[in-house]
Amino acid sequence: MTQTTIILSLAGLILIIINAKKTGRHYEGLKSGLKQLINATPLIIGAFLLAGIIEVLIPGEFVQNWLSKEAGIRGVVLGSLGGMLLAIGPYAFFPVVSSIWATGAGLGTLVSLIAGWCLLNLSRMSYEAAFFGVKFFVFKLIFSIPFSLAAGFIAYFLEAALL
Amino acid sequence: MKQSTIIVYITLAVLIAAAFLTGGRALVAEGLIISANTAYKSAVMLIASFIITGQLNVLLTMDVLERWLEKFSGLKAVLVSSLAGGLFPGGPYIYYPFVFGFKDKNLPLYILISFLFGKQVYDFARLPMEITLVGWDLTLIRYLITLPIPILAGLWTKRFFGSKDTFNHMTKAGGKDDSNNNHS
Repeated sequence: MTQTTIILSLAGLILIIINAKKTGRHYEGLKSGLKQLINATPLIIGAFLLAGIIEVLIPGEFVQNWLSKEAGIRGVVLGSLGGMLLAIGPYAFFPVVSSIWATGAGLGTLVSLIAGWCLLNLSRMSYEAAFFGVKFFVFKLIFSIPFSLAAGFIAYFLEAALL
Repeated sequence: MKQSTIIVYITLAVLIAAAFLTGGRALVAEGLIISANTAYKSAVMLIASFIITGQLNVLLTMDVLERWLEKFSGLKAVLVSSLAGGLFPGGPYIYYPFVFGFKDKNLPLYILISFLFGKQVYDFARLPMEITLVGWDLTLIRYLITLPIPILAGLWTKRFFGSKDTFNHMTKAGGKDDSNNNHS
């Protein structure tokens, strides 16, 4: 975790330097980041609390039967469905993923969950239908479902074969 | 974000009640200790994540990305638009209107599909957050597995609809009317 902190801090510093040299708008970038952090803080705190409670609340038997590597196809399908239903932003979503992982969920379930959230998220579907119409919405949905499941299956087979 | 916050806190209240009923104060406290530990470990990383996001927001303007989308065709266009989607800053209330803005520019549908999938699957501004909260290993595996999705989506759209079929053609079945209603 210390390593990740150092790498992310260095990446942030490099971007500030690039921005300062290329656009001279690095202060604007810092302000933008700070503003986003302040806006997201209540959500992040709530998500951390939620993640901790989920971690202690999910019964081991449920994880074993539905989310673990042993759950197989069930875990992958449930993952995509869960991702679709978790119509929340990334600050809230990733702590929840982390807590589900900590309970012992399989790689297939987790990748399917993230892919489902990226592609099938219910909150984004309303934007698609509103801006582009039903035809486009259905077309994109038909495309997205197999992609989300395929990502989960690849992760599942990868875990079964390699890990 | 407000909507997400409300959903999270309502769910939290329900789950705390459930934890209290099943395991009493001890289970709730155990959950809260896990939360506090995670928050403590992630605090500095989260600040770094937001610094990165803020700088990317300023570096990558809509003009730059718009030029990329209009410049290429074929496989190169699919690759560039997927990447442009990943680099595009902001939430759905920003990128859907941006894509809708191409409606009258006769841009092929496959370029816009690659862009949309690229935004949703890659979203590089979200990457530091994902690494911070779920770790390098899962993030790397997830990115590697989902990496081809925007490219395949673009190529298959090109195969089904060709280069001439524009985004405008696909959305004329109701998108325009819907959007007009939406903005009124």
